[in-house]
Amino acid sequence: MNPETLAKLRSFCIDEVAFEQLKQTLQAEIQPLEQEIKQAHLLVEQHKALFRAIARLREPLEVEPIFRATAIEVRQLLKSDRVGMFRFYPDSGCNDGEFVSEDVDSAFSSAKEKKISDFCFGDQFAIHYQKGQVQAVADIYNAGLSDCHIKILSQFQVRANLIVPLLQGEKLWGLLCIHQCSAPRRWQQIEIEFVSQIANHLGVALKHAELLRSLRLEIDERQQAELRSQTLNKGLQQAIQELKAVNKELEAFSYSVSHDLRAPLRSIDGFSQALLEDCAEQLDTVGQDYLRRIRLATQRMGHLIDDMLTLSRVTRSDMHVESVDLSRLARGFCTDLQQTDPKRRVEFVIQLGLVAQGDPNLLQVVLENLLNNAWKFTSKHLQAKIEFGAIPQPNGTLAYFVRDDGTGFDMAYGDKLFAPFQRLHASHEFPGNGVGLATVQRIVYRSGGRVWAEAALEKGATFYFTLEAEEVEV
Amino acid sequence: MNAIANPKTILLVEDNPDDEALAIRALKRHHVSNQVIVAHDGVEALEYLFCTGMYAERDINFKPTVVLLDLKLPRVDGLEVLRRLREDDRTKLLPIVVLTTSSEEQDMLNSYSLGCNSYIRKPVDFVQFSEAIRQLGMYWLLMNEPPPL
Repeated sequence: MNPETLAKLRSFCIDEVAFEQLKQTLQAEIQPLEQEIKQAHLLVEQHKALFRAIARLREPLEVEPIFRATAIEVRQLLKSDRVGMFRFYPDSGCNDGEFVSEDVDSAFSSAKEKKISDFCFGDQFAIHYQKGQVQAVADIYNAGLSDCHIKILSQFQVRANLIVPLLQGEKLWGLLCIHQCSAPRRWQQIEIEFVSQIANHLGVALKHAELLRSLRLEIDERQQAELRSQTLNKGLQQAIQELKAVNKELEAFSYSVSHDLRAPLRSIDGFSQALLEDCAEQLDTVGQDYLRRIRLATQRMGHLIDDMLTLSRVTRSDMHVESVDLSRLARGFCTDLQQTDPKRRVEFVIQLGLVAQGDPNLLQVVLENLLNNAWKFTSKHLQAKIEFGAIPQPNGTLAYFVRDDGTGFDMAYGDKLFAPFQRLHASHEFPGNGVGLATVQRIVYRSGGRVWAEAALEKGATFYFTLEAEEVEV
Repeated sequence: MNAIANPKTILLVEDNPDDEALAIRALKRHHVSNQVIVAHDGVEALEYLFCTGMYAERDINFKPTVVLLDLKLPRVDGLEVLRRLREDDRTKLLPIVVLTTSSEEQDMLNSYSLGCNSYIRKPVDFVQFSEAIRQLGMYWLLMNEPPPL
């Protein structure tokens, strides 16, 4: 009490005794008030510390600096000897762990980065801490703790401790430990609440760190995926470039085939004919026969070159997909075929309304080739039947077919059927170059479909084709 | 069909000597024309028609009735010859028949786009080739009315 106030009070009193009594009475009133002010002051400091802890959460997302700053602050505020963040090793069942961060009075040793195993802890205490329970021990030698636990604590000179769980979401991540080493200490409720709140905020920091870690992991993965797809893309682009180059080369090749290979043939044929016409009297019949053979061969080769070019053009031409009425196309071809030989007795059976998606020019080539074959390979029969139709496939798409009851072929040679220039019949029996089915196959492949045949000798043949891509098993 | 009295000429632009010989033989055999001038590449064809270079002395008013033009030629190719002839007022109406081995759609498209009057593909079969040449000569030299130049 200040001297001026005391002097004033003294003047109110009758004697010294009365003054002493007044002083004592006043002091008894003031003391708890002072205590309350001190407490309030401490509370304000704690709140300030809490605010700083919250503010730190907003800044760096790494837990290490947050732990470090919080440990220093809490130790100062509570005037304790050690504040440490203890982390359980993942998958250790809360038996093993270490202090990952710490602030310790220089009079005592550091507990940091030393593996601590407490086999009596995991089973007994973990479950309580998990539920958020706090342990406040005023004196470890007088709290009924197990011997092994006391042994571990004494290793770090702990005399009194306040332990609050650090929860990362639902998971018990570790413990916030406040140690008093110098002497026993009775922890006040206000201190326990303060430490619990700090632990809550550290839990938020841990949660953030976990989110950040998984986010970084995801970013890493995405970056790697992007890198992979970039590499893949690059490879693809290169492949496309190469393909384009090859295609261009092929185009140039077939162009020069169409020009250059044909020119000498024309010379051979032309001058053979000129010989036959201009020098006929100097040649006997054998000589003339030879010249005719030369001419036939050159003409055959001319046709082969033409067919080869047609085949390559089928692969090179642009595709324009639209709806194509296959039934109508087939009907037209059948009428044309009948007109080429009106005497032949052929029954045409055409399923109506078969409309497919595809390039009209290319699909026309497919039908023309298959129907021409059917017409050709039934020519030895007095009466024949040629069908065009479609059957549903197991996958729901349609397989179109052209069926005849003509000469057929042995299925043993079926694999040669679609190879260019392969023939299953002698050309004096059935003329042809072996390009038709190769052309059909190329067109069907380009449309994403497939083509196959069923046949037997003298029992006719059926050619099937699809125009939609089927699911490819990888 | 009096070939001798016919003053009409054909300019054959052809680099292959065999094709040249066969074409001339076919024309002669069918008495289509005894006046065939041969240019062996694009440059020679242009020099003849515009009276430059080795044909600088030639009378430009004397024009062939029809030009038979191969596409694949050394130096200046057939499409380029066609383009230059169509660009020039003196030759833009000149009947030009492309006579080539190519049946490439692109070649046909380009030739017609540049303004050829006809496109004939040389068949390998000489009888057909000979027939094509005969009809060609008959049509362009005898039946067709040339553009008034």
